Amino acid sequence: MAEKRIKVLVAKPGLDGHDRGAKVIALALKEAGMEVIYTGLHKTIDQIVNIAIQEDVDVIGLSIMSGAHIPLTRKLMEKLKELGIQDKKIFVGGVIPSKDIPKLKEMGVEGVFPGGTPIEEIISAIKASVKK
Amino acid sequence: MNPNDLAERIISGDEKAASRAISMIENGEETGFEVLSKLYPKTGTSFRIGVTGSPGAGKSTIIDRLAFCYGKKGKKIGVIAIDPTSIKTKGAFFGDRLRLKNAEKIEGIFIRSMAHRGFSGGISKAALGAECILEALGKEIIIVESVGVGQTELSISLISDVVITVLTPDFGDEIQLMKAGLLDIGDIIVMNKMDIPNAEEKAKDIIHYLESIKGEISVPLVKTIARQGQGVELLIDTLEQEREKKLKEEKENKEKIKTLVIALIKEEMEKGIEEMMEKNITFNDLLAQVISKKLDPYYMARLVVSNILKNGKLEETLG
Amino acid sequence: MSTARYIKNDRDQILDVILESGIHVKPVYTPKDLEEIGFLYEEDLNDPGKYPFTRGIHPLGYRSRAWTTRQYTGFGTPKETNERFKFMISHGQTGLNVAFDLPTQMGYDSDDPMSEGEVGRVGMAVDTVRDFEIAFEGIELDKIGVGLTINAVASIILAMFQAVAEKYGYDSKSISATPQNDILKEMIGRGAWIFPVEHAIRLTGDIMEYSMKVMPKTNPVSVCGYHIRESGATPAQEIAYAFLIAFAYIDEVVKRGYEPDEFVGGITFNFNVFGNIWEQVAKFRAARKLWAKLLRERYNVKKDRNLFLRGIFGGGGYGLTKAQPENNIVRGAYYALVAALSGAQTTALCSYDEAYTIPTPHSALISLRTLQILMDEMGLRDTVDPLAGSYFIETLTKQMEEKIIEEMEKVERYGGIIKAVSDGYIQRMLARQAYEIERGIEKGELLKVGVNIHVEGEPKEVELHEYNEESARMQIESLKEIKRRRSQSDVKRALKDLEKATKDGKNVMPYLLDCCKVYCTLGEMTNVFRDIFGEFQEPSLF
Repeated sequence: MAEKRIKVLVAKPGLDGHDRGAKVIALALKEAGMEVIYTGLHKTIDQIVNIAIQEDVDVIGLSIMSGAHIPLTRKLMEKLKELGIQDKKIFVGGVIPSKDIPKLKEMGVEGVFPGGTPIEEIISAIKASVKK
Repeated sequence: MNPNDLAERIISGDEKAASRAISMIENGEETGFEVLSKLYPKTGTSFRIGVTGSPGAGKSTIIDRLAFCYGKKGKKIGVIAIDPTSIKTKGAFFGDRLRLKNAEKIEGIFIRSMAHRGFSGGISKAALGAECILEALGKEIIIVESVGVGQTELSISLISDVVITVLTPDFGDEIQLMKAGLLDIGDIIVMNKMDIPNAEEKAKDIIHYLESIKGEISVPLVKTIARQGQGVELLIDTLEQEREKKLKEEKENKEKIKTLVIALIKEEMEKGIEEMMEKNITFNDLLAQVISKKLDPYYMARLVVSNILKNGKLEETLG
Repeated sequence: MSTARYIKNDRDQILDVILESGIHVKPVYTPKDLEEIGFLYEEDLNDPGKYPFTRGIHPLGYRSRAWTTRQYTGFGTPKETNERFKFMISHGQTGLNVAFDLPTQMGYDSDDPMSEGEVGRVGMAVDTVRDFEIAFEGIELDKIGVGLTINAVASIILAMFQAVAEKYGYDSKSISATPQNDILKEMIGRGAWIFPVEHAIRLTGDIMEYSMKVMPKTNPVSVCGYHIRESGATPAQEIAYAFLIAFAYIDEVVKRGYEPDEFVGGITFNFNVFGNIWEQVAKFRAARKLWAKLLRERYNVKKDRNLFLRGIFGGGGYGLTKAQPENNIVRGAYYALVAALSGAQTTALCSYDEAYTIPTPHSALISLRTLQILMDEMGLRDTVDPLAGSYFIETLTKQMEEKIIEEMEKVERYGGIIKAVSDGYIQRMLARQAYEIERGIEKGELLKVGVNIHVEGEPKEVELHEYNEESARMQIESLKEIKRRRSQSDVKRALKDLEKATKDGKNVMPYLLDCCKVYCTLGEMTNVFRDIFGEFQEPSLF
C-alpha cells in the first residue's frame, strides 16, 4: 500500500493580502513531506471549502493578518458543518491576540498559531492532528 | 466505507464521495480499487484531453481557457492537474488551482491536484482512476495536465483521447526543446503566447527545427494567446476533429490499452520486487559480491530475474 | 532581529560577518580600503545638496528643516479617523499618512458581502467623498502633506481627495497628496491588487499625467521598497526592485509623449529601516547616489531637483516581535536613528503593538515621541551626514551600490520587472528567502531578543486597539443614507462617462473627479474598471 500523505490546504480568506507567513508555511509543510495546496489571495470561505472538498485535504490552515479571524473562522466552521465535513482539521494562524485563542478553539479549531510560532511546532501539531 | 455505497454516491453526483475515492486510489487503499472496478465498465464516453509542454509554456492558462469555453457550452468539466513530488522530501506543492481563475467560475467544475509521487512518466498513477471517477461523477470533458517532463511507458497519451503539446515561440534553442521532452509531439501542437515580439518568425523556426528531427509534422498546429483567450475556440474545434479521427483508429486504441496495462503491471511488480528484495538474504549476499566486484551487476540481475520467474520468489539458496 | 549571518568560534568570537546583501564585513577598516575601492570625494559623495547627493539632497540637511513625521493613522469611521488625525497633529505630527480598511483598498463598498467583518478594521472605511469630507474636516490641506496608502484604486481615492479639497476651498495646485499608487509592489508583496498589470500601470500613468498638470504639488507615486523588503527581500533587492518599478512607471508616462524632466520629480519612495544598522545607512546613501545617476544616464534628466531621491524611510515592521512587546519601543528608537543617520526627509515608525493589531493612540504617540526625541534632544540636527568619510561606511556604501546594480541586472536579464512580477519570478525568490530567514531564526542563526535568545516565560498581553463592530454598522448606515439622497441620474451619467473614457483609453482622472462629486461610491467606480480590465492573475508560487 502506498504511503498516506498529509494533504494541506493553506488558505488566505478575505481581503487581506499579507501572504509572507502563508507562503513560508506552505513551503515548510512541503519540505516536511506534505502535499500542499495554496489558495492564493482574496478567497471567500465558500471557495475555500469547495477546494477542500475537491482536493480531499486533511487539514485547512487559515492565514489571517487583518484581525478578522473570528468572523472568518466562524463562517468556515459553519460551512463545514452544513456540508458535513467536520473531519477536516482546522488551524488558524496570523495576527491573533491570545484572548481570542480560546474563542477559536471553542469553535472547533484544532490549533492556533499566532505570529512567531516556530515552524516545527506547526508541523508537529499538524502531523499529530491527522494521526488522531 | 462500503465500496458499493461509495460508487453509488459518486454516480449520483456526490463530490465528496468522488474526492474521497480518488484519495483512496492515491493511497493504494483496497476500497478505492473496488470502487474503480464497479465504475470502470460504465465509463468510456467522456472526452479525455491530455495537456503537456514545458513549465512556463502556459499549460495551465490553456487549460483554464479550454475549461472556461467548454463550460460555457454547457459541458461538465473535470480537471486533473499533476505536479511533481519532491524526491528529497516527498512533499509536493500544487500551484495550478491558482492559475485556473476563469475555470473556477464555471458551474460544477471539479478540479483535483495530484502529486505524481515518484511515478515515472510525468503523470500520477492514480490519474487513470481519477479520470474514471470524474466521468462517473458526470464530467463530460476531462482535462489532464502532466508535469511535462520525462517520457516513459506510461505517458499522458495512454490515459488521454487526444494530447495537446503546448509550445511558445520564445522557446529558444534546441536544448530547451529537448528538455521539454518533445520527442513525442502529441496530437495537436499549440503555439501559445503569439503576442510576443516576432512570434510568427520564431514559431516558424521551432516548426522547422521539429521537422528537421522528426520529418514532416502532420499534426495540426493551433496558434493562441491563451491569456486573452485568443485561439481557444479554434483549439476546441481542432480537438473535436482529432477526437473523431481517433475514435476510428481501433487498432491503435487496443494497442494503447495494452501498453497501459503492461505499464501498470510493471509498476505493480516493481513495487513488489522492491519489497521482496529489501530483506532478502540471497539478494543482499549477491549485492555484497557485486559491491566487492566478485560478480557483475548484469549477472546478478539476470540471475535474480530468472529465479523469480521460475519460483515466483527469490529462493534463499540459489543453484 | 539580527539580519547578518555571524560565523563564530566556540568562544563566541566573531570570525566573519555576512550582511544580508552578501557583503562580508571586515574587523577593521583603514584608509587602504578607500584606496582599494577608488574612493573619490567629488564623484562618490560631494557636498550635501550636490550631485550625486550621496550625503543628502539639502545642503544643510536637518539644520534647515527637521524631518516630517507621518505616523500611519486611520481606523473605523471617518469621524474616528478625523479625531485621531487631530490628536496626532496636536502632538506635533507634521504630516498625515492615511490608513484605509481592506474593503477600501480592494475597491469594495462597506455594504458589499466581500467586506463583511473588515469594515474599518485596519484603516478608515471610505465609500463616497462624504467620508473624506468628514475625515479631513478642520485639517489645513494646503499646509499638511497627506500620504494616502492606497494602490489598486489610487486613482479613485486621489480624485476623492481633490474633490474634497475643492469643496473646502483649497486650490488643487496648493494641495500636496502622496497616494502610494505603487501597484507592482502590491503584486510582489502586500497583495492589495485588483486589475491585471497592464491596466493597473495605465491607471498609474493616468495619475502621474494628471497630477503633473492639475496638482503639481502632489507626489503621484510612492514606490515602496518597504513592502518588498517585508516580503523577504534583501536591502539591495529592496532598492533594486523599487528603482526598476519606478522606471516602469516612468516609461509609461514617457510613452505618452512627456519629457522625464517634466514629472520624475514627483516620484517618491518608501523604504524600510529594518536591518543591520550599517547596511541600512549604506543602503540609503547608495540609493540616493544611484537614483540620481540612473535618472541622468537612462532618462537624460537635467534639473538637479528632479534627481533627488525623496521619500519616507521608516517602519521596521518585520523587526518587531510579539514577545516582550516593550522591546519594540527600543527597537523603534534604533530604527529612527538609522533613518536620521540616513538623512530621511520623512519618517514614521511601526508602533510597538503592531505585531498584535493596529496602534492605540498611546502607542502611536510613543512612536511620535521617539522621533521627536532624536531631533530635539540627541543632536541629530547638528550636522549633515555625520558618518561621511568613515572608512567603513564609505566602503560599504560603494559595495551596496554594486550589489544594487547586480540585483537590477538580474531582473533585467530575466526580461524586466513587469515580466518578473507577472510570472512570479520575484515572488518565488522572496518566498524562498523568507523561508530561509524563518529557518535561520529557528536554528538560532539569526537572533531575535525575546524569541530565540533572552527568552522570558509567557508573553504578556498589551493593551490593544479594539475593533468596533458598531463603527461598521454606522458606516453602512451612512452609505445607505447617501445612496438615498444623491441624484441617481447624475450618478448614472457620471459612471457612463467614466466607462466610455476608460474604454476609449482617455485619462480617467477628470471622469473620476466627476463621479466623486456626485457621490458615486468607490465600489461603483471600481466595478467600471473591473468589468473592463478584468483581474490580475496571481502567479503560482512554485
